[in-house]
Amino acid sequence: MTVHFPKSFETLEAFAADWALPTQNARQGKRIRSTTGELRAFYNAVLPLLPEIMAYIDRFPLGEIPAEAKPLYHMALSLAEVAPHVELYGGDPKVPHSFDEHRFVAEHGELVN
Amino acid sequence: MNAQAKITWAEKFPELGTGPIPVEPCVSPEFYAREIDKVFKRSWLKVARVEEIAKPGDFKVKKLAFADTSVILVRGKDGTVRGFHNTCSHRGNKVIVETGDETFGSSRAAVMTCRFHGWVYDAKGDLLAVPEEDKFHACFVKGENGLTPVLTDVWEGFVFIKLQDDDGVGLTDFLGGLGRHLSGFPYDQMTQCFSYYTELNCNWKVAHDAFAEAYHVATIHAGSFPNVFSSGLQNVELFGPHRTSAVCLSMDNEPTPVAKLANSLAGASLVAQRGASMLPPTVNPDRRDDFSFELSVAFPNLLLHVSEGIWFTHQFWPLAHNRTRWEGKYYVRAPQTNSQRWAIEFAQVLQRNAWLEDTATMEDTQTALESGAKSVMHLQDDEVLIRHGYHAIEQYMAAR
Repeated sequence: MTVHFPKSFETLEAFAADWALPTQNARQGKRIRSTTGELRAFYNAVLPLLPEIMAYIDRFPLGEIPAEAKPLYHMALSLAEVAPHVELYGGDPKVPHSFDEHRFVAEHGELVN
Repeated sequence: MNAQAKITWAEKFPELGTGPIPVEPCVSPEFYAREIDKVFKRSWLKVARVEEIAKPGDFKVKKLAFADTSVILVRGKDGTVRGFHNTCSHRGNKVIVETGDETFGSSRAAVMTCRFHGWVYDAKGDLLAVPEEDKFHACFVKGENGLTPVLTDVWEGFVFIKLQDDDGVGLTDFLGGLGRHLSGFPYDQMTQCFSYYTELNCNWKVAHDAFAEAYHVATIHAGSFPNVFSSGLQNVELFGPHRTSAVCLSMDNEPTPVAKLANSLAGASLVAQRGASMLPPTVNPDRRDDFSFELSVAFPNLLLHVSEGIWFTHQFWPLAHNRTRWEGKYYVRAPQTNSQRWAIEFAQVLQRNAWLEDTATMEDTQTALESGAKSVMHLQDDEVLIRHGYHAIEQYMAAR
């Protein structure tokens, strides 16, 4: 997938193919399958721009983000998924000392945000 | 004997005693069978929220594996929610075909038709139509062959059922002081629901107990909630078989960068709570500023927590003496903006991770208890909700 982000977010385009994922299940699965290095690289790239991404998506009414802005929004949601692993779990792609995530069924997990 | 720290709850509730708790109730198939009969079949059990069956003709079928039945909860044209066994009066087929533990559907005409031979029931359970009715014998009376009702009532938007009603205690009286304690919270305003379930290879009480104290937070939640919550409980109150307490923040926790941004956008995290504007006056009565959430147990199997802008439940459905279906639901206010929607996602996945930490111990606990190595467990003062839980079950088992 080729995406074109607004100029201030151009540095994030390289991450879109991996992290612009529309469902929570997809974001969770991608996080589990990633390495510590991949999680940190994604986190470090997105975090400085996060306040600007929030301001950007709030230009649109709730639920009316246009298609071209969706990848950026979905990447921000992926950062929400990844952040605890970088900030709290020492880069572990899994939740340390946890129940098997695959057995935890999210009834909302396939909803497209 | 240990040099004692301050003992609060044993002094407040001397009737609970202080001795060790037998593990037999968690490992014995015989105990389980009696518990199903004396506790689960004779207690009011939460099976739905009214929002799940909002319109006339909406129905939910909830499987109750412990009782070998399923209950249809259907909203009638009169707005009333009624419950029926999902069993056709003809030859006992399921009226609604189920697709899992919970099945949802809707009928504009507010009728339910059995697929087998087309018998039609209305939302009051009455049998409306029987194809080829004239071929049935004189002893068959349509008016006497409605669906078998299940006692159903609603408290604060929570739909409860009771399978056996020998004592005639209605839902309001059953919930008693706990119902009054938690009434008036605007449950229906938190419309965004995040819902999980899994099957755990443990007794339902092992699962319940793991969530019913804050002693584990420093160890189990060292990952997701480091230095966030106090280990003790506040404001413990007992209401018959039900119980409640407050869990508080430790107040010296510095949020991470992403948490800080999320907290500034939406109060969807337990870690960010302050103030008490939507809480009923009975909850956090002193309005202490470190209050995070109220941890309440509606006997036997529902943990209900209320907080500012959040409520959540854990429910434990027994499947066998060492198997449990767990359901976790997290409710927050619907977002107003896309950035709030993002902030809710952050709070909710962190909460999911904490639940993954909670559930991690349960199967190991069950396996270790089944080894027979220990015949009792020891509880400290701040595990009083667990102590009361076993006390309440014992009373139910003895009394009926």
